[in-house]
Amino acid sequence: MLTKINVGPIHPSTHGVLRLVVTLDGDTIVNVEPHIGFLHRGVEKLVENRMYMQSESYMEKVDYAAPMAYSDLYVSAVEEAMGVHIKERAKYVRLILLELQRIASHLLWLGTFCNDLGQMFTMFMWTMKDRDLVMNLLQDATGSRMFYVNMRVGGVSMDLPPDFEEHAKSLLDYLEKRIKDYEAFLEKNPVFIERTKGVGVLSRKDAINLGVTGPVLRASGVNFDVRSAYTYYAYEKLNFMPQIQVKGDVFARYKVRILEMKESIRLIRDALKEMPEGDALGMPIKLISPPIKEKEVIVRRELPRGEGMMYMVTDKQKPYRLSIRAPAFINLSALNHMAQGAKYADLFAILGSLDLVMADVDR
Amino acid sequence: MVKLKISKNELIEKLNEAVKEGYNYLVKITAVDYIDHLEVIYFIRNIENKKEENIRLDIKDGERLPTIVNIFKAADFYERELSEMFGIEIEGRKVERLLLEKWDGLEAPLRKKFEWGADYKRD
Amino acid sequence: MDENERVQNARKEMEQLVADSLKSYKPPVGAFFTNLKEATKAIADGSIRWARKNSLWPMQFGLACCAMELMDFGSSRIDAERKGYLLFRGTPRQCDVMIVAGWVTKSVVPEIKRLYEQMSKPRYVIAYGECAVSGGPWWESYNIIQGIDQVLPVDVYVAGCPPKPENLFEALMKLQEKVGGKVEDKQE
Repeated sequence: MLTKINVGPIHPSTHGVLRLVVTLDGDTIVNVEPHIGFLHRGVEKLVENRMYMQSESYMEKVDYAAPMAYSDLYVSAVEEAMGVHIKERAKYVRLILLELQRIASHLLWLGTFCNDLGQMFTMFMWTMKDRDLVMNLLQDATGSRMFYVNMRVGGVSMDLPPDFEEHAKSLLDYLEKRIKDYEAFLEKNPVFIERTKGVGVLSRKDAINLGVTGPVLRASGVNFDVRSAYTYYAYEKLNFMPQIQVKGDVFARYKVRILEMKESIRLIRDALKEMPEGDALGMPIKLISPPIKEKEVIVRRELPRGEGMMYMVTDKQKPYRLSIRAPAFINLSALNHMAQGAKYADLFAILGSLDLVMADVDR
Repeated sequence: MVKLKISKNELIEKLNEAVKEGYNYLVKITAVDYIDHLEVIYFIRNIENKKEENIRLDIKDGERLPTIVNIFKAADFYERELSEMFGIEIEGRKVERLLLEKWDGLEAPLRKKFEWGADYKRD
Repeated sequence: MDENERVQNARKEMEQLVADSLKSYKPPVGAFFTNLKEATKAIADGSIRWARKNSLWPMQFGLACCAMELMDFGSSRIDAERKGYLLFRGTPRQCDVMIVAGWVTKSVVPEIKRLYEQMSKPRYVIAYGECAVSGGPWWESYNIIQGIDQVLPVDVYVAGCPPKPENLFEALMKLQEKVGGKVEDKQE
């Protein structure tokens, strides 16, 4: 006797507007069908009528939990179309700001993931406070709290202020202590361990065939990270190592993100030591329609949610076609495979561990 | 970036060969609208030695694409999005709308002949 | 006879003057002890308005990027609980205010209308962020409604992209003035 349940579009536990139609047999899940498109606004069509640098602020609103990463992806595509190399110091400045953005995004994920497991806002309050401190540091460096628009062709818009290094070092010491507290709080808790170990297992072969990316792929034992495979900025000089776990369940995905936060802290410390002197400013934004040399461009970056890719066909003043590969879109399509045979209460643990942002799923 | 331009009938053969050589990860399926024909591009990747390849083919209005869901399971969502955004029909499986589910009157918005902004009115 | 007529005319005039002046006399609103029925009505109205305006419970309706600032508004740095806006509730039956944050597409509009009709009266709506005020940067898109006030009656508009959480504080304080009776409030 099969029953169908509707997990409606507006729900406290789906991150955004997502509708799931769940078919149950008693308490076991038989089929999960996601219905999306409630936040679709046609970004790929809007960009075709704007000049190049005018659509940088559109790209930031595609993933609003880590806006600087998408803006960096788009401006790199324009730079490669123009044939411009960025300055040495700008590579390190961009790396520091992007790793800070990654820490902020993973802290937000940790708070809402523990909300889904029923912890009722305890971890949420702690991690949102830490995220607020990281956003203050980013506000010192760029001037704005949430939508930065600070990437320019050839560099950044403002160099780091003179007292950035002391503030960053004291904040990183504080964050290290807090991450140890979070681990001790969660990993010795028998309820958390029961709810996450052995739940939603994804094997290595299935992960590659289903096309998932990011921490979901690395938690199933696949050694693939864009920062080390198609390396960019200064990751190779700073000896970046991807973090991998083998089991493939919800606990492994949680562990990969905690280890990535620790690796980001180490990268920022090393980059602050080794940063060269010089000039990091890029071209001013009034240069709205730059001279274009290449016809087709492909760029890849490692966003906090996975691997993002842009394929752009250029015209003289506006892009002719911009095709965005969003990581959350393809991660959501693996939900049906992972949730077969699990209990109904496990569905939200699995959904929370995929780290979805719904505006990324329906651009 | 290696470019291969093939015809529509060789698609499934080429993809099976590529899977045997080790290209087992599908990155994206996308399309570009040049006004007299459409170009469909498949991006595939080899996870072991990190190489990428594109496979391109040309399609005119009204032709159908074969489905590749049996080779890569990741092609499910990509084919649904392609068929509703560009108006390409896919044969071999039943394709439902993904992003524009409730608006049956909206056809192929990413084509160049779709006049966007035509709905905008404010008093 | 002339004297009697004159006296009677004067008496009639006096009575008419007294009747006229009694007609145009209204007791002042804030004055107690003129009319017990009106006094109790004023006290009860005032205290109900005081209780309502100091405990507005918002309903979470974060659709998009402005929902990040709503989360920040409810957490411990910019505390929303100290003014009475308690934790955001999930069910619309217990809520007074609906804060619409994020862009509204044509697919979501039936859900919004259903939730708005489920809220119990008196109910208020705040449009938070540029996308809910007028469509925002997506005003030319084929799938977007240009502002939530084409669907629902809005009380307070907050501009910004995204507005800082302190702006939401000021918007809720202006809504408190409206609930408290200083500005005219049309509820059916």
